[in-house]
Amino acid sequence: MITLQGLKKHYGKTAALSQVDLTIQEGEFLAILGPSGCGKTTLLRLMAGFMKPTAGTIRFGDTEVANSKHSNKPENRNIGMVFQSFALWPHMTVEEHIRFALKNHRFSQKRTAEEQAARVTEVLQLVGMEPFRKRYPAALSGGQQQRVALARAIAPEPDILLMDEPLSALDAELRISMRKEIKQIHKKLGATIIYVTHDQGEALAMADRVLVMQHGQIEQVDTPETIYQSPETPFVATFVGKANLVEGTWNGSHFTPAGTQLSWLDNGVSEQLKQKQLFPVRPEEWQLLPAEADGLKGEVIISQFQGTERHYVIRTDGQDYQVSLPIADPAWHEGELVRLQVRRRKTQYATEEVLLELR
Amino acid sequence: MQLTMKSRQLNKGRHTALRKLPILIGMLILFFFFLLPIVRLIVMSFTSGENISFGAYSEVLKESVTWKTLWNTIYIVLGSTVLSMILGITMAAIMAYTDVRGKAVMQLFIYLPFIIPSYITTLAWVQFFSSSGPLGGLPDWLIPNLYSVGGIIFVLGISHYPLVYLMSVQVFRRIPRDAELAAFVSGASRFTCWRKVTLPMALPGICSGGLLAFLSNLDNFGVPAFLGIPANIRVLSTYIYEQVIGYGPSAFSRAAVLSVLLGIVAVAATLVQVWLLRRSKVTETTVPDNEPRIQLPSSKRRILQTVLWIFLLGTSLVPFLAMGTVSLVQAYGIDLTWENFSLGNYRYLLFEDEKVIRSLGNSLLLGLITAIVCLIFGTLFAYYRSHKQGKLPKVLEAIITMPYALPGTVLALCIILMWMQPLPGWYPGVYGTPAILLIAYITRFFVLQFRGSYTAFSQLDVRMEEAARTNGANLFTRWRQILLPLILPGVLSGALLVFLTSLTELTVSSMLWSSGAETVGVIIFSFEQAGYSTYSTAFSSLIVLAILFGGIAYLIVQRKWRRRGRKA
Repeated sequence: MITLQGLKKHYGKTAALSQVDLTIQEGEFLAILGPSGCGKTTLLRLMAGFMKPTAGTIRFGDTEVANSKHSNKPENRNIGMVFQSFALWPHMTVEEHIRFALKNHRFSQKRTAEEQAARVTEVLQLVGMEPFRKRYPAALSGGQQQRVALARAIAPEPDILLMDEPLSALDAELRISMRKEIKQIHKKLGATIIYVTHDQGEALAMADRVLVMQHGQIEQVDTPETIYQSPETPFVATFVGKANLVEGTWNGSHFTPAGTQLSWLDNGVSEQLKQKQLFPVRPEEWQLLPAEADGLKGEVIISQFQGTERHYVIRTDGQDYQVSLPIADPAWHEGELVRLQVRRRKTQYATEEVLLELR
Repeated sequence: MQLTMKSRQLNKGRHTALRKLPILIGMLILFFFFLLPIVRLIVMSFTSGENISFGAYSEVLKESVTWKTLWNTIYIVLGSTVLSMILGITMAAIMAYTDVRGKAVMQLFIYLPFIIPSYITTLAWVQFFSSSGPLGGLPDWLIPNLYSVGGIIFVLGISHYPLVYLMSVQVFRRIPRDAELAAFVSGASRFTCWRKVTLPMALPGICSGGLLAFLSNLDNFGVPAFLGIPANIRVLSTYIYEQVIGYGPSAFSRAAVLSVLLGIVAVAATLVQVWLLRRSKVTETTVPDNEPRIQLPSSKRRILQTVLWIFLLGTSLVPFLAMGTVSLVQAYGIDLTWENFSLGNYRYLLFEDEKVIRSLGNSLLLGLITAIVCLIFGTLFAYYRSHKQGKLPKVLEAIITMPYALPGTVLALCIILMWMQPLPGWYPGVYGTPAILLIAYITRFFVLQFRGSYTAFSQLDVRMEEAARTNGANLFTRWRQILLPLILPGVLSGALLVFLTSLTELTVSSMLWSSGAETVGVIIFSFEQAGYSTYSTAFSSLIVLAILFGGIAYLIVQRKWRRRGRKA
């Protein structure tokens, strides 16, 4: 279990991290998600021990590894790390990388030479790099380099695996397939993984829990489903779900968009959003209706074919909304007048709502 | 799997003051070796007897010789800088943009005058233009007299154009081709494009190269000493030398005044150069584009190639051949024929004159110790500089750069003033021994090693070291297994530069040498001053051959190293 208490990091006067409290369970896959400069890398580097916190403590299990006065060096923490730039050593072959880790890692189990050789083979087989064991990094593709970096980190069987945007240097297709592999490796190892990324797709697809950060603060920590469907803050709603924030007024469980007489039912909007008088609507939650129907009045500004769906930009009174509809729906064309309505979530029908409809 | 989350107990941590101790000691040493000598010089310039006064300044500035020297310095430095820039920029533009063949070999020839010490280049040119040289058949009025302001400008310009070339060619190659294509698409002619796009983008880099040449011309002692002193043409660097060597009651404070004047100009130029370099960093992120951008028609290309080769061979090979020829005749002034051929000069140097052997030994030993000391401490300092943020490392870097930015004669005077009595009451007695040469070399060339090592470190992804740390490697393992193997080529080429530069050093040595502590440069200088041209040319030829062999050996080793499975 990793416990962060009141963790702060300042660079001179600027705060990179302010007040982070968090508990990470053993064996958990936690993704830290946020835009660049949000403090996610700082948080990871604090856990690795590359820097000392300005305030607060970090505990690994019962051991305090860092506070504002002392910080255990990375080499004295039971961790493995995968870097965005892979950080392979150009003068070592693939198997030398693994052997270096086995030989030097201070928490790796003591092995005889034969056991070590067996472990090298085992780890390389796990990441599918066994055939390339004699190669130098320069002779490997990006994906292969990433596998070596991963193998080097997991070989000594550390309790905690820290990953700093490990896939962002790869091309789109490889990223998707590496997601699955990392997920499988996590299942096999059972180590705690802390995975920093700015790609919400990656975080949602792989993690047990997602931590969303902005301006050095935690916005929300929850399961991927909750983060996506019930964002607590405007930032989480827009960054993770790409939601449109409709302004208006909340009245109990009803929402009236500004400048209309409409009344939208609460579908699980968080207190914070309600206080800010906002209603989040993700692009796929919209419904486009003909101009005569009820709803927000708007005009189709852009209509783009995207394969599985069609993207629209609808302009209402001074506001542009992003809409994404299945390709099976009839297409709307640029310049057409439409009405915007929120699609009802089938899973979240409140009994009250059902009763209302029955009436 | 049972997870234990074990990690070592938090270090109790040594005393913070104790941990800062090495840094503190390092800082004191840096101040003592690099900054204090300069302070001593400035203090000296304001001292007459026991009192603080401007007496020395007013005395020196009243003399007409001072003004004559200043004007000479200005003419010579500006003239040679302009020559260096014209040659360097033209060469750079041709090499960067046109499709002439054999660029790799041409490049080597461009560097040649830069690697060989300028006083040896001077000797070579003197022999080239002498009556027994290859132009000997021409009438006298066609052969230029090198012992003149024009001659000094010519040799300095030829010696330092590679600096301008080096800086400009980098910048030219980094200017994005797209920027030029965009200009063409917008209707610019090649000339307009060059004037409005390429040149403005390259300007900071070019100017920075020009300033580097300016500084080298200002600093240079060998050329004006060999060509100017016999013709009674003084520049600041040789004038300071004459003051110090000539002693006299107020020699040191007069020399100090001149040194402060020269030092101010040098430091100011260095600051401008650093500032320009920072501005030209904009283009540094782009990858150099080595593909030729101008396809010349083959006839024109051949003409250009011929002109280039004539220039390159004429400036870097022929003078040295002329020098070699002179060293092989029995007596100065006669032609080299089979009857006159003799290795007598070499036999004299290597077996008969013990001063020569001694100077070779001295220079080799001094170069070796300087290179090793700089290698170790320069690399450690580079590690510190690349790993620590904040102002302090930058300030320390500026301090170690100062002795190199100052002209050699100025530094030599600083070292004399400092080491006669480093602290009140402490007379270490190094003045007049080889030790002061060693101190001077280390002080002066430390920054060369630092730059080499620093570049090596900055080309290294810091994450590589961090990856080793997360795998439990301690500082020692990290250095031995990760850092050293990766930085070694860069570090060693820095050390080689330090070694070669100290080996052939003349400026500082000529002011600090003492009997028994002669160096190669000093011996060649004294042969030439005494009129033993056959000996000076023979010794110079030996040095040139040694440098060439060293350079080739280094290139071979470097190539082998690269093959060892690393990224090129």
